Amino acid sequence: MPKIIIDDREIEVPEGTKVIEAAEQLGIMIPRFCYHPALGSVGACRVCAVKFLEGPFKGVQMSCMIDAKDGMIVSTNDEEAVEFRRNIIEWLMLNHPHDCPVCDEGGHCLLQDMTVSGGHGMRRYLGLKRTYRDQYLGPLVQHEMNRCIHCYRCSRFYQEFAGYFDLGVMQSANRTYFGRFKDGILESPFTGNLSDICPTGVYTDRPSRFFGRRWDYQRSPSLCINCSLGCHTTVSARYRQVVRQEARYSEAVNGYFICDRGRHGFHYARTETRPWQALIEGREVPTEGAVRAARERLAEIVSSGGPRSVACLGSGRSSLETQAMLGQLCQKKGWQGPSYFMDKSLTGKAKTAVSRLDPELAVSLRELEGSDAIVVVGADPINEAPMLALAMRQAQRRGGKIAVIDPRPIFLPFDFNHLPVRLDEINLYLSALVKAAVDPELIVDAGKDAIEFYQEAPSLEIVAASLQEKASILAQELRAGQRVVIVCGTQIVRETTPALAADHAKFLRAAKKQAGLFYLLPQANSFGAALLASSEVSFLEIIQGVEKGEIKGLIVAENDPFYSFHDRQRLELAIEKLDLLVVLDCIESTAVKKANVFLPTSTLYEAGGIFINQEGRVQAAPRAYLGGISIAQIGGGDHPPRVYGSDIPGGELRAAYQFLSQIGNGDQIEDDDPTRRSLLRWIADNIPPLAEIPPFDELSENGMRISSSNDTSPQFAVNWQEEKEKGKGSEGPLEIILTDWTFGTEELSSFSPPLMKLERKPYASMHTDDAARLGLGHGDKAKIKLDEGNLEVDVCIEENMASGVVILPRHRLLEWQKIKSLPKFVRFEEIEKVSG
Amino acid sequence: MMNYPQVLFQNRKADRIATLEEYRQSGGYEGLSDALSKASHKEVQQVLLDAVLLGRGGAAFPAGRKLMTVADDAPHPRYIVCNADEMEPGTFKDRVLIHADPHMLIEGMIIAGYGAQAEKGIIFIRPEYESAAIILEREIEIAEKAGYLGKNILGSGYSLDIVVHRSAGRYICGEVTAQLNALMGKRANPQQPPPYPTEKGLWERPTVLQNVETLACMPHILRNGPEWFKKLALTETGAGTKIFSVSGRVNSPGCYELPMGVRLSEIIEVHAGGMVEGSEYKACLPGGASTRFLPRDFYDIEMDFDTMRNVGHRLGTGAIMVFDQKTCLVAATLNLVEFFARESCGWCTPCREGLPYIRDLLRRLEEGQGEEEYIPMLQQMSKHLWSSYCAFAPGAVSPVESLITYFEDEVREHISQRKCPFK
Amino acid sequence: MIPRELKESLAQHIASIDHPRELVVDVMFAVQDHYGYLSDEAVEEVAELLDMSPLEVEQLATFYTFIYREPVGKYVIHVCDSVICWMEGHESLLDHLSGKLGINLGETTPDGMFSLLPVCCIGYCDRAPAILINKKVYGPLTIEKLDDILEKLRAEGLTPSI
Ligand SMILES: Cc1cc2nc3c(=O)[nH]c(=O)nc-3n(C[C@H](O)[C@H](O)[C@H](O)COP(=O)(O)O)c2cc1C
Ligand code: SF4
Ligand code: FES
Repeated sequence: MPKIIIDDREIEVPEGTKVIEAAEQLGIMIPRFCYHPALGSVGACRVCAVKFLEGPFKGVQMSCMIDAKDGMIVSTNDEEAVEFRRNIIEWLMLNHPHDCPVCDEGGHCLLQDMTVSGGHGMRRYLGLKRTYRDQYLGPLVQHEMNRCIHCYRCSRFYQEFAGYFDLGVMQSANRTYFGRFKDGILESPFTGNLSDICPTGVYTDRPSRFFGRRWDYQRSPSLCINCSLGCHTTVSARYRQVVRQEARYSEAVNGYFICDRGRHGFHYARTETRPWQALIEGREVPTEGAVRAARERLAEIVSSGGPRSVACLGSGRSSLETQAMLGQLCQKKGWQGPSYFMDKSLTGKAKTAVSRLDPELAVSLRELEGSDAIVVVGADPINEAPMLALAMRQAQRRGGKIAVIDPRPIFLPFDFNHLPVRLDEINLYLSALVKAAVDPELIVDAGKDAIEFYQEAPSLEIVAASLQEKASILAQELRAGQRVVIVCGTQIVRETTPALAADHAKFLRAAKKQAGLFYLLPQANSFGAALLASSEVSFLEIIQGVEKGEIKGLIVAENDPFYSFHDRQRLELAIEKLDLLVVLDCIESTAVKKANVFLPTSTLYEAGGIFINQEGRVQAAPRAYLGGISIAQIGGGDHPPRVYGSDIPGGELRAAYQFLSQIGNGDQIEDDDPTRRSLLRWIADNIPPLAEIPPFDELSENGMRISSSNDTSPQFAVNWQEEKEKGKGSEGPLEIILTDWTFGTEELSSFSPPLMKLERKPYASMHTDDAARLGLGHGDKAKIKLDEGNLEVDVCIEENMASGVVILPRHRLLEWQKIKSLPKFVRFEEIEKVSG
Repeated sequence: MMNYPQVLFQNRKADRIATLEEYRQSGGYEGLSDALSKASHKEVQQVLLDAVLLGRGGAAFPAGRKLMTVADDAPHPRYIVCNADEMEPGTFKDRVLIHADPHMLIEGMIIAGYGAQAEKGIIFIRPEYESAAIILEREIEIAEKAGYLGKNILGSGYSLDIVVHRSAGRYICGEVTAQLNALMGKRANPQQPPPYPTEKGLWERPTVLQNVETLACMPHILRNGPEWFKKLALTETGAGTKIFSVSGRVNSPGCYELPMGVRLSEIIEVHAGGMVEGSEYKACLPGGASTRFLPRDFYDIEMDFDTMRNVGHRLGTGAIMVFDQKTCLVAATLNLVEFFARESCGWCTPCREGLPYIRDLLRRLEEGQGEEEYIPMLQQMSKHLWSSYCAFAPGAVSPVESLITYFEDEVREHISQRKCPFK
Repeated sequence: MIPRELKESLAQHIASIDHPRELVVDVMFAVQDHYGYLSDEAVEEVAELLDMSPLEVEQLATFYTFIYREPVGKYVIHVCDSVICWMEGHESLLDHLSGKLGINLGETTPDGMFSLLPVCCIGYCDRAPAILINKKVYGPLTIEKLDDILEKLRAEGLTPSI
C-alpha cells in the first residue's frame, strides 16, 4: 500500500486511492465539483488542483486524477495551487448569477462555499453573462440552467450511473447545456438525486421550493419506509411539517442515492386530509376518551366472548415497536393474532424468507453491487424496490450478468436477459438454470443432499423452445460467475419459491461459488412482521373468524385492509358484522372511516422507530420533529391561527404502540421511554434473533444485521414431480397477477401530490399472443369478469412478458378487489373487448 | 529556386489527382508489397522508428514507437485511424496531399495497419473536405479491386478494410481521444489516458491514430529505407521532408514540400514568392494557430521539430501564417482566441470559461478600453490554461503568451493610445 | 417523415455494421439532406434508426457545426472568419454579403434561398478570403466574384429541380 505525504502528514492508503481521497482521509477537504465518490473522477472542473512537490508527477495537477503513490509529496496550500484554484472559482463565477439570496440552493451550495472560502469576493470580469433558457423537467426537479458550472455530475449520474438517457449534455464550448431534448417529465425514477449531487442550484427540489433555507430546517437522519430496502434519508422539517427528504449516505444500504418514491413519499405525514382527531363512531372526541372507550368496549367483548373474540391486525409499515406491542398484547391477553399479512400464503413466504436468510448467504444492497451474476426470480426491481435496480446496474456496469425469471414485462435500466414465464414455471426455470450453471465435478464432495438435489433438478430441457437460446446463454454466464446472488421476490411468487431460492443459493455454495441471497419483502418492516407474526392467523383467517361470529372485536394498527385485501365485498361484510373496530393510523383510509373507535397515531418522523429491512438489518430512525398540525394548515392562510390554545395543535398524537399500550395495559403514558424500554425487553426475551439488539439510540449508523435463520426447513428438498406437473400448466385460464408500480400502488407514497403527477393511469398488461386470441388491441378497453363483478381496464400489449397471465397493478383507481381468492384464474371467455 | 526532392508531392499535378497507375509507376505500393512479403510487422515498426518519423499532426510523436505500444497479445479487431480532420487554422496540407496522390495515404494506412496488425481502417475527415472524401472512397474501391485492400492483401494473409468517416465539424475532433469518442458516436470530449488508445481505443480495442502526412511518408520509408529518409532532412536531428502550408501576406500562398530543417526565410522568400508588395515580415505562426508568434529575430530559423523546441517554439503542423508590419497582432490574437473560445469542447473550466475571459480582455484592448492590469491578467490566465484537461487550451494561449512576450510594446500602445494603433 | 426508401437503406446500412453508432453522423447528414435541416422530427427518426434516445442524438446534433437544428436556406453560405481570411478582408466580404442579402449572420433570406453563417477556418487559407456554399469552397474572393456567384446561384435556385 502506497504511502503519501500531504501537507506534511503521511498516510498509507490502498492502491488505486486518488490523492483527493487520501487527503480526505487525513481530514483535508480538497475542493471539488466534478469529483463525486459514487461517480468517480473525470478531471473536468479543475478545482481540485494541488501542487505535487515530489514523486512521479510535478507541479500543479488535479488531485482527483492521480493515484496516490509511494514517494509523493503534495501540498494543498502551495501558493501556486491556491492561485490556480482561485482563478477556477473566478471563471466559474463569470456567468453564475449573483442572486444567492433568492436561490433555493443558497445556504447549502458548494459553489457558494467555495467562492466564500476561496476569497473571491470581487468581480473583475466586465463582460456580459451568458444566459440559458430553463426547461420543465416534471414535478420533482426544478431546472435553472443559468446556475450551471458544468461539472457534468448530472449527466454522469443520470446516464452512466442510473442508465436513463433522456437528460444529458448538449451544445458545446461555453454554451454547453444540460437538460432534455424537449421540456417534459424526466423518465428516471431517481431524478431527485440530481438535486442532491448538483453542486449549485441548477437542479433543486421542486415541491419544497421557496419554503426555507437549509439552516431553517430541523434536519435529522431518517429512514425511507416506502419499500423494504430501508434506504437512509435526511428529513427536513419546518413549521411543523416535513418539507424535504434527501438521500443520506449509507455504507451498507443505499450508498449516496435514493429513489423518487422514497424522496417524495413523506407527504402522508402532512396532507390536509390527515386525521388528527380521535373519533368515536365518527364523532371527534378527546384522545383520552377514545382510548377509554376502546379499552372498555374490548373488555365487554372479552367478558362475553372470551379473549379469543378479539383479534389484532398490524402491518409491515409499522415500526418494530408497534408490531411488538401487538405481539405482546396478544400474548398477554390471549387475543387472536397478531396478523400482519393479508393471507396465509404471504405470511408463509415472508416467514420463509426470514427464516431462510442464512447470515452466510445474506448480502446487503451495496454488496450486491459487487456480484458478477444475479438471478432475479419473481421480482420487478424498478417497480417493487427501485434502488435495487440501481444497485443491480452497478453490478452490471462492472461486468456482472443479470437474468430475470418473471412473468411481468420487466424493464430495467441496463442490459439483462429476461425469461418471461408463468408463476408455476418459475421454480423449474430457476432450477434448470442453476443446474446448468454448476460444474458437476465441483459438487462431488458437496454432500449427499446436494448431489441428489442436483441430479433430480430439471435440466434446461424443460425450457420452452423459444427461450432455449437465451437460457443457455444465461446458464453460461451464471457458470462463469463467482459471486452469484439470487434475488427473490415474495409478492407474486408461489409459496414454495422463496425456500427454493434459498436452496439454490446453498447449492451454489456447495458448488464453490460465493453465492448470496437477497429477498424482497412487501413492506418496510415486513421482516419484523414475519418475525412476530403468528403463523396460524393471517387476516383471511381473522375474517373467517368474524364470519363465524367467533371474533367480535378487531384492532387494526396502521393497516388498511380496504387498500390491500383482495376481496373487498367479503371484507365489507365482515367489518359490518364486528361489534367493535378499533383503528389506529396516521393516514386517511377507509378503515379509519369505518372505525368505531379511531386513534390518530404519529408518523415515523414524529415518533421515530425501529425498522428491519429485507436483509435483516435492524435500523432506527430518531424523531425528526415534535409533530402537530402544520402552521400552514392551522392558519388556513390566515394569521393568527383560528384554533386557540397553548398546546401544539394536533399534539395529542402518540405512536401506535403507545396507544396500544394504553388500550391494553391501561398505562398512563407521560413519557415514551418506559414503554419503549419495557417493549424492547419483551422483544429481546420473545424473539430470539432480536435478543442482542442494543437500545434504540445505540444502534450504529449502519444498523445491525441480525441472524434470523433457523433453517428448520429441510434443505434441498423439493418434489420435482409435483413441480413439473404444475409447470406444464393448462392451456386455457389466464392467471391474474397483482403487481406493484413504482408510483401509485405503495400505500404511504400514494398520498404524495408530486408523485401523483407521475402516476400512470392503471392498465392491464397482456402478452401479444393472448391479446390476439382475445381480439384485443393496444389501448383497447377490456372487461374482465371477476368473482364480484366486472373490471373494466385499458389493455397494454407487451411482447416481453409471459403468456397466460394478466398483470394488474394494485392501484386504488382500479377495482382489482373484486377477486374472491388468490391465486385467481380467468378463462379466455371471461375477458372481452369493450371498446377500441 | 532550389530544387529539393519531391517525395510526397512527386505525382502532384495542377489540375487533377494522380491515378493508381501513375502512383504505381512512381514506385507506389512497392513498399507495401515488400513489407508484406519480407518483413514481420515488428520489423515494419522498427524501420519506422529508425527513420525517426515524427507525427506530422502537431505532436511530433515517433510513429514507430506508437505502433510498438500495441501489445502483442492485445485483442482484435484493431484499428488504424487516419486523422484527416485538419481544422487547425492555417493548415491545409492534408487536403492538398489527398488531392495530389490519394493512394500514397492508402498505402501508408495499410503499412501502419500491418504494423499494428489492425483489420479495420478509418479515415476521419472534416466536412469541408467533402471532395477529398469522395476521392478517397473512390480510390479505396480501386485499391481494393487491385488487391491492396480487403481480404488477404497481395496474398500475404494480412487483411484490412478502410472506410471514410465524415465528421460534422469541430476542431476538437482532431485531438486523438476526442476523435475516438466522435467515431464511437459520443460527444467529442477528449479522454485523458490511461488507458492509451493503443491499448484501449475504439470500442475498447487497440487503435493507432496518425496524421495524413505521417502516413503518407510510410510507403517511401519502407521502399527506400530509414537512412534515405533521414538524409532528406537538412538538419542532423530532422528526418524526411515536410509539407509547409504557407498563407498570409506572401505572394504565393500554398503547400510546399521541403526538406525538414529548411530555413523560414527561404520558405517565405523563395518558395512562397516573398512578401506581398509593400509588406514587411513582422511575425508568423510557424505551425498553425496553436503555436507561438515567431518574430523577426527567428526569421532564419531552421524549421525542424528540435531546432524549434530549442528556442521555445513548436513546429506544430508546419502551417506558416505570415503577418506583416501593417497587421495588428492584438487583433490577430483576438481573432485566434475567438476561434479557440468557440471551438472549445466545453469539458473543462479553464478552457470553457477562461478563453472567453481572455477574449473579452483582448477585445477591450483592441477597442482601446484596455488597462495596464490586463497584461498581467492575461499572463496569469494563460499560465493557468496550461492546466486544462487536454492540449487544446495550451495551444489556444500560445498566441496570447507570445504576443505579450514579443509584442508587449504593441499591446501597451493600445492602452496608452486608447485605440488600436493600426486603425 | 423520411421516405421509406431512405429509411430502409439507412436501416440496412446500420444493420450491416458492428457498431451502428459509428454511423450517427452519417445518418444525421442523410436525414438532414432530406429535410434541409435536422428538425425535431428528424432527430427522433435518427434516434429510432440507431436505437438511441432523441436526447442522445441531440447531444451530438448540437455539438457539430454542420448539423443544422434550425431551418436554413437552400444555399448555406459559411463565411470563414478565421485569422487568414480575416487578414485578407473577410469583414468587408461579410458586410457586402449581409447588405446584398439583407440578412445578418445566423439569418435566412425571406425567400428561403440563402442562409449566412460564420465558420472557422475551412482549410483553404491559400485561397483567402474563402467561403463555403453548401460545403463547396469559393476563393479567393472579391466583391465582384461574389456577386457573380450569388447571381448564378439565385438563377439556379429558382429553376425548379426535376
Ligand atoms: C485540439 C487538437 C486538435 C488537433 N487536430 C488535429 C488534426 O486536425 N489533425 C491531426 O492530424 N492531428 C491533430 N491533432 C493532433 C492529434 O491529437 C494527434 O497528435 C495526431 O493526429 C497524431 O498523429 P501523428 O502522430 O501522425 O501526428 C490535434 C490535437 C489537438 C490537441
Ligand atoms: S482544454 Fe478542456 S474544454 Fe478545452 S478542448 Fe480540452 S477538454 Fe475541452
Ligand atoms: S474534482 Fe478534480 S477536476 Fe473536478
